[in-house]
Amino acid sequence: MNSEYIIEMLNIRKEFPGIVANDDITLQLRKGEIHALLGENGAGKSTLMSVLFGLYQPEAGVIKKNGQVVKINNPNDATALEIGMVHQHFKLVDVFTVMDNIILGAEDSKLGFLQRKKARKKVEELSKRYNLNVDLDAKVEDISVGMQQRTEILKMLYRDNEILIFDEPTAVLTPQEIDELMEIMRGFAKEGKSILFITHKLNEIMAVADRVSVLRKGKYIGTVETKNTTKQELSNMMVGRPVQLEVQKAPSNPGEVVLSVQGLTVPSKLHKNNAVKGVSFQVRKGEIVCIAGIDGNGQSELVYGLTGLEKASGGKVTLCGKDISKASIRGRANAGMSHIPEDRHKHGLVLDFTLEQNLVLQDFQDERFQKLGFINSGAIREYSEKLIEQFDVRSGQGAVTAARSMSGGNQQKAIIARELDRNKELIIAVQPTRGLDVGAIEYIHGQLVAQRDAGKAVLLVSLELDEVMNLSDRILVMYEGEIVGELDPKKTTVQELGLYMAGAKRDNEQEV
Amino acid sequence: MKNTLLDMYRKDGTKKVLASLISIFAGLVLGSIIAVIVGLTGNPQSFSTQSIFDGIRLIFGGLFSTGRGAQGQLTFGFNPSNWGNMFFRAVPIMMTGLSVAVAFKTGLFNIGTPGQFLMGTMGTLYVALSIPTTVVPAWLVWLLAFLAGTLLGAIWGAIPGLLKATRGVNEVLACIMTNWIAGNLVYMFFKANTQLQCPPETGKTGYIMVTAENGVATSKMGLDKLLPGSQVNGGIIIAIVIAIGVYVLMNKTTLGYQLKACGANRHAARYAGIKDKRNIVLSMAIAGALAASGASLYFLSGNAEFAWTKIYQSLPEEGFNGIPVALLATNHPIGVIFSSIFMSMLNINGQMLQNLTSYNKHLSDIIIAAIVYLSSFSLLIKMLLSKKKKEKAAPAPEPAKEEAKAAQAEETAAPEETAGDSADAEEG
Repeated sequence: MNSEYIIEMLNIRKEFPGIVANDDITLQLRKGEIHALLGENGAGKSTLMSVLFGLYQPEAGVIKKNGQVVKINNPNDATALEIGMVHQHFKLVDVFTVMDNIILGAEDSKLGFLQRKKARKKVEELSKRYNLNVDLDAKVEDISVGMQQRTEILKMLYRDNEILIFDEPTAVLTPQEIDELMEIMRGFAKEGKSILFITHKLNEIMAVADRVSVLRKGKYIGTVETKNTTKQELSNMMVGRPVQLEVQKAPSNPGEVVLSVQGLTVPSKLHKNNAVKGVSFQVRKGEIVCIAGIDGNGQSELVYGLTGLEKASGGKVTLCGKDISKASIRGRANAGMSHIPEDRHKHGLVLDFTLEQNLVLQDFQDERFQKLGFINSGAIREYSEKLIEQFDVRSGQGAVTAARSMSGGNQQKAIIARELDRNKELIIAVQPTRGLDVGAIEYIHGQLVAQRDAGKAVLLVSLELDEVMNLSDRILVMYEGEIVGELDPKKTTVQELGLYMAGAKRDNEQEV
Repeated sequence: MKNTLLDMYRKDGTKKVLASLISIFAGLVLGSIIAVIVGLTGNPQSFSTQSIFDGIRLIFGGLFSTGRGAQGQLTFGFNPSNWGNMFFRAVPIMMTGLSVAVAFKTGLFNIGTPGQFLMGTMGTLYVALSIPTTVVPAWLVWLLAFLAGTLLGAIWGAIPGLLKATRGVNEVLACIMTNWIAGNLVYMFFKANTQLQCPPETGKTGYIMVTAENGVATSKMGLDKLLPGSQVNGGIIIAIVIAIGVYVLMNKTTLGYQLKACGANRHAARYAGIKDKRNIVLSMAIAGALAASGASLYFLSGNAEFAWTKIYQSLPEEGFNGIPVALLATNHPIGVIFSSIFMSMLNINGQMLQNLTSYNKHLSDIIIAAIVYLSSFSLLIKMLLSKKKKEKAAPAPEPAKEEAKAAQAEETAAPEETAGDSADAEEG
């Protein structure tokens, strides 16, 4: 019982047919520490956590709690060992209240009747003690993402969990919410709870973690104390080579206007109001303009309106001097528009098609690829192999790989290859690095900057503050369907940007 | 040699064919078991051990049956009439099978084949019997009749397509409705057009005249010489050509690419500027035309009679049989050629069973049902086949290559094989 570590995972090995997801991995969690688990996509972080949570059985290795070997066969065993987890995608019942969600699965009952009062008292105490503000009687579908996360945290606390696992908890939060979460996590650590924090964001690790364990390609690379390391060192450990964290780019040199938007209004599918309310802005040659904002403030609809995926109800869009307000989707594309879509599975790829079929999704009717309606498969193969080579798209069987079987990063690379090779004047990139790891992000950012330097106009929509600050030449902040401010990334701070994004601050006059 | 065999086995196509063959074999075995049970529990005067054995032999090889010999034993050999009739009966289900397969490839479930088949019947028979061959050459009448039927089917198929594209109505619901509308419409049409009905003096009440009455019939293309004593005609050749055409359309043309893109991911198709609504209507129209052309080919054979009086009660089975044909072929147009001929063979086997033993020919319907049931599991069987392959392939990768392989697998197979990691890979 006198072990230094509350949880130890020693020499864990987990295989799946054909691959070793975890190869001799050791993770030791001290009592009362915040321990970050860092790794690229597919490094084996989630597999390791699934082993700890009893979802997978390891082929080799042991798990110890307080120095005693334990066997975790299913999540119930994990709960019994006081291990709790906040999943990346929340496991909440939307139509239940917060309270009902918290007690779900751990209901206290007497003769089959729920003991709500007792439970409620406990939850209220917990929420007060850890400063977790939630409206217990609100339905989950009505509350913000941040509150949903707090609900998940309360769920763990209600079950008296001592070991708390957070799986990429900050992906969905605003900067202010992230700060609050960090504060909450520190509070837990002070109370003696132990925290495992899975992430690939280095800033957060530096801010909150005591120690970091790094995984790469299923292998354990090492554990370091946060105070003895740097972001650069961590990212090198994670990727296995020196990584450029900051985007390297020369000052922009904007030329003539490529895209001009005047009073664009797009109706919402979710509510009766307009999602985009009379937005006006311009994008010029040789600059990267970034639309920043918290998810759901009309950015997606703005892009739909620009690309023609949805009909705008008002306003004028001019591309390269041509009025495209009424043009079809293909008409707009031909007028000089490339579109890297937000949702690569919904819009970007036909997952059941092969890689090469996806690479010609936009241009299959081009004379290069067809003659009198008959597909020239030889030309498509040649073209695909060129793109695969040029953009380093990795896949199992090359051009004929099913898009579905490719990793997220390579799927995104395929889309980027397709869109950039079309060589259009305007590139609309919506969250182009969403869910990707440092190496892939570095690559994609480099490509976008190269396009800018080649004289293309780039309209970037991003939720990632780092990306907004690093990549853009101008920032337009969107809040509730309007552009509330234009910022210069060199002169502004993340805090100021956060205020604009939260609607707490806005430029008086909107002129862009 | 062993490697090429293994490569072939690893191919997706091979696995599909294997999966279908396994379901066929299992279906035939089930039919045999039923034959044994029926034989053992049936009237001992009709069933002896020998007759049970005969029944099983016919279930598997009825096509080759040439009747019974002098001692009453079953004889087998090449039976041209059986072969010819098999091809003849394969034609309509080949076309409805293609119809279902094309729709399926484009993400639509065309259960409207009976209605489309009926509309094709109506258009074809009306044109073939109404234009006098004394004025217009018979071959031209044939062509017009074929086109009329096909066109009507295309229109009929386009209706559910339009409803889905513009109003979001589920095509299955719309198809079921249009089926019954077609049933009643065609019934009323033939009731009103008494000149098309078989005259009472022929004693064939309730039938429409065969097109041969007007001198319109599909050319035999020499097949009758090859397979004498059967109903075979050039329709089978036309149907096979159409099937190959459909394969080319779906796999080698930009139109097929568009249709499939819409079916596989309508949003991505729209994103790429493909007109998704137009393509849904077009898919259904093509499917309708195919189903209807099955009717056209069947009735233009010259010797098929159309019983019109009951169609408002029961839709033509050729329509629905397209679904199992397509399923068994895993929606591959070339596969449909074989699966339709196979289904037709089972039909012939059933016929021989009824003729030569005390078994009922509907035993073959049970076999078809079992095969269809199993073939809807063909995906599962395919998966099992893949799994077995992986287990065999997995052990003992060379140590030196292991790391590279693991790295590559991380890159490529991670979303598929490590469920936990895939969530990680998709959104961060």
